[in-house]
Amino acid sequence: MSMQELIIDTQNLQKKYITDTVETTALAGVDLKIKRGEFVAIMGPSGCGKSTLLNILGMLDSPSSGSFKFLGQEVANVSERQRAKLRKENLGFVFQSFNLIDELTVEENIALPLAYLGFSKSETEKRTLQAMERMGIAHRRSHFPQQLSGGQQQRAAIARAVVSEPALILADEPTGNLDSVHGREVMQLLSELNDAGTTVVMVTHSPTDAEYAHRIVNLFDGQIVTENLNVKRHAAELL
Amino acid sequence: MFNNYLKIAVRNLLRNKVYSAINILGLAIGIASCILIFLYVQDELSYENHFSKSGRITRIVGEVIFEGHKDEFAVTPPALAPAVSRFSDIEAVTQFNRAGKQTIWYNNQTFTDEDLVFADSVFFKVFDYELLAGNPATALIAPHTIVLTEEMAEKIFGGVEQAMGEVLQFSRDSYTVTGVYRNLGHSHLNVSGLLSKATIDARTSAEERNTQWFNLNNYTYVLLQNEEQIASLQAQVDDLTQNHVNPWIKENKLNAQMKFIVQPLKDIHFDTRYMHSISSSGNISYVYIFGAVAVFLLLIASINYMNLATARSAKRAKEVGLRKVVGADRSQIIRQFLGESVLLTLIAVLLALALVQIFIPSFNNLTEKNFSSDFFLQWDFLLVILAIVLLVGVVAGSYPAFFLSGFKPADVLKSDKQPRGGSATLRRALVVLQFSISLIMIIGTIVVFTQMHFLKSADLGFNKEQVMVIDVPGGDSTLVQRLPVIKQKLLQNPNVLQVSNSYSIPAEPTNRTLLLMEQDGKMVEKTMDIIAVDYDFISLMGMEIKEGRNFSRDMKTDEKSGIIINEAAAKWLGWSEPIGKKVGTGENRVGDSSTRIIGVVKDFHMSSLHTDVQPLAITLAPESPGYLLARISPENQAATISFVEEQWRMFDQRHPMEYFFMDEFFDRQYRAEEKMLTVFGYFAGLTILIACLGLFGLASFTAEQRTKEIGIRKVLGSTTGNIVLLLSKDFALLVAIAIMLATPVAWYGMSQWLQDFAYRIDLSWWIFALAGLLALVIALATVSFQAVKAALLDPVKAIRTQ
Ligand SMILES: Nc1ncnc2c1ncn2[C@@H]1O[C@H](COP(=O)(O)OP(=O)(O)O)[C@@H](O)[C@H]1O
Ligand SMILES: [Mg+2]
Repeated sequence: MSMQELIIDTQNLQKKYITDTVETTALAGVDLKIKRGEFVAIMGPSGCGKSTLLNILGMLDSPSSGSFKFLGQEVANVSERQRAKLRKENLGFVFQSFNLIDELTVEENIALPLAYLGFSKSETEKRTLQAMERMGIAHRRSHFPQQLSGGQQQRAAIARAVVSEPALILADEPTGNLDSVHGREVMQLLSELNDAGTTVVMVTHSPTDAEYAHRIVNLFDGQIVTENLNVKRHAAELL
Repeated sequence: MFNNYLKIAVRNLLRNKVYSAINILGLAIGIASCILIFLYVQDELSYENHFSKSGRITRIVGEVIFEGHKDEFAVTPPALAPAVSRFSDIEAVTQFNRAGKQTIWYNNQTFTDEDLVFADSVFFKVFDYELLAGNPATALIAPHTIVLTEEMAEKIFGGVEQAMGEVLQFSRDSYTVTGVYRNLGHSHLNVSGLLSKATIDARTSAEERNTQWFNLNNYTYVLLQNEEQIASLQAQVDDLTQNHVNPWIKENKLNAQMKFIVQPLKDIHFDTRYMHSISSSGNISYVYIFGAVAVFLLLIASINYMNLATARSAKRAKEVGLRKVVGADRSQIIRQFLGESVLLTLIAVLLALALVQIFIPSFNNLTEKNFSSDFFLQWDFLLVILAIVLLVGVVAGSYPAFFLSGFKPADVLKSDKQPRGGSATLRRALVVLQFSISLIMIIGTIVVFTQMHFLKSADLGFNKEQVMVIDVPGGDSTLVQRLPVIKQKLLQNPNVLQVSNSYSIPAEPTNRTLLLMEQDGKMVEKTMDIIAVDYDFISLMGMEIKEGRNFSRDMKTDEKSGIIINEAAAKWLGWSEPIGKKVGTGENRVGDSSTRIIGVVKDFHMSSLHTDVQPLAITLAPESPGYLLARISPENQAATISFVEEQWRMFDQRHPMEYFFMDEFFDRQYRAEEKMLTVFGYFAGLTILIACLGLFGLASFTAEQRTKEIGIRKVLGSTTGNIVLLLSKDFALLVAIAIMLATPVAWYGMSQWLQDFAYRIDLSWWIFALAGLLALVIALATVSFQAVKAALLDPVKAIRTQ
């Protein structure tokens, strides 16, 4: 598999929200290409369309117009059911507000994607344990989300995102609700995943977090204004 | 995955105890009612099923049209069976007739029985009862033989074996037991034993029986060769009527038309039209009403589930979004939520089964049935349960399932924006539907109750209170001759106010007879109801003589030539001056020229208020068997009754005294309505209970959702009263709409029901107002509990919770 393979390729992506009387343009023509193995940070002021973009990339929302190819396949031409399949086989999500299911334990939350993928019971148990150990929350496996700290919840959420070994992880302000110590922990985890070959696209407000990415995309009023290569990270990799 | 769904479902049930309890309890009550109603309906529809030939058995009933007036009889002339047996397509014809009330002696014990019939030897060929002893082909051939039911054999002889060959002594003759059969399942044939018809046939000539076409006393049943031949049998019967029966009637100068109708056995139980039916019949409208009530109850309970599930959907939205994020597609989410509602229904079914076990005895009481609690071992019942679980689970679960599964993850996962809990308009519409149904039930109950009260307190034209009615056994002429003696004895007790004897009493079927009546100087044939009474009957009953006079002991001619009629008869005959009009009576109806109308009695009700007062003739028969009436004082009633019993024992040692009170006997005609009232009352209570459970849940949801608003309002100076009003007025509006919807439906339905009564209440506005007020008060009480709770909340806390 070539490092040059495009995992995401959008052209003139637009998104308009129409509510009662107001029409909001959240995305006003976004061209974005992301290669397999990249770590991309999306930055920009509040309301500029970052989450909207990420949701469309995650096929949780659909664009008003424009083209979005996922692994070379035009997403607009794919049925809802097929999209659910693409999602469960290739994507992992991490959110600012953790978004764990309150009625399920940590372990059950993490095992959920495997259940929808139809894994056997023993395989599920094995993979779930691995993911929990990797994120350091195996000792909290039978707790419910409300019984955990924010950092622990986010680690559980990341474990859930990676348990099915997806090609792409989409993270929307993953450190937004965490203090700096826990924030750094989470960024380290994402970075490690990227080192192991997982593509990461992350929305963030924090320049410190953005330091972990190869490339920083700056969004303003629904458009990409600048794209910078992260010299530090590239330099580090070259060493 | 299934485990995962189950875990979520169970944890949700446990976490939201109030919602779960409301849903499960409501569904359980609905399902339990459904199960009971199913048992009732199944039982009502099971009549005659146990006869292996039931599909091929038919009954022939008769219609007599006389002067444009049609009478329908379950009984037919004795000549019918012999004639029908010569038809084609026939396998067997059996006829039998009622033996009437019989006193039976065996071994110094006395029994009375009203359910014996004289049956011919073909009976068991048509009705294949299982014979526990004896040979069905021969048991009823010889005269003076009897075949008993197992219960009768047990009662009299203590067993089947002990019964065979024993001799039972009746008033007139004796019978040898030649068989015992088992009564399995329900049949309209409610018979306790069969006496051989050969016994009574020996008293008349076959010639006489086979030509007599106007004597209606035999039940005729035909076993066809196959089920399709009903039409052919009807055609042959019509042919016989046209070419033979009606010409015979004309020849005999009877101004009537006869028609015979072939009726499938399975229809008999629900066909209540025919007079002198062999047993009391079922009522198909109750089957329909009960069935509708069952569906309504389930619907109302399902609506609770739908409403609460969608109202709470905001809480489940995040879970739906997340499941989609990790790869669930819509159909998987739908399946999950349907599974949840099916699980909930399953729990409700278990609770319902427990409820049924608890309430089966009371239900048996109510329906006068005998359901046992092992009903759920039947496979068809298990199928019904399965159907209920799936139907309710899917119907109730489908709306929340489709609604919730439609959430877009991108929308629901935004922390700042929570989706509203489903369509509030739909929820309101469903609440209106629930309350409309409840209101219809409440209005129904009030109408039936008011009508019953009206029936029982209506002026019947006589005083039915405090009249003790003693059965005078027939077939013993010395008894009747001694009646004046016992009457004298009874009157010695000051608490026995008046005594009388009469051949018939109100609420008993009356005889109809053909009389010649004077109209415009000519004697015209008229058929009318006739009763025979003694001198004191009219005065004891508290009836009023409008014109002329009562029968008098001073007028020796009254017994032979005095007739009293009622006002309805005078009107019917067009007599403006009835007194002194000539009447022709007697066997040959030529008219005894001296018989005259001597009095007109104010109209009184011989039968229930279902029917109008019919024209009636009253003749004097001071020494007739039938009934001995005693009007007794309400004081020391128990002592008076035992005094009467004592006197009776001295007077007649052979028959145990049987008595009843006239008011109870008369009111028993309204038993079906009485039952309906109870059933309506219970189910109206249940529907409103389930609807209120749902309302309670919705109100608590609304209060919860508006906590912040309530807090702000309180900070701005709203009083608790304002807040309660604010939260309640929405629901009050819904109930008001329900009142407007329910009123026309209930009005229509109840007017139809009232059509059954010749005398009925008006559906006045207060009935609907009362029902509406009741529903409103109950609904507001339910809602305000939550509203007050919300209004009393500390405003600071309320604002902070958001
Ligand atoms: N569901 C929605 N309906 C209407 N407008 C929306 C919706 N979601 C987002 N928007 C609008 O689109 C714009 C972009 O929002 P978003 O992508 O959430 O911004 P960001 O994540 O960069 O803060 C904002 O102006 C926001 O108000
Ligand atoms: Mg955002």
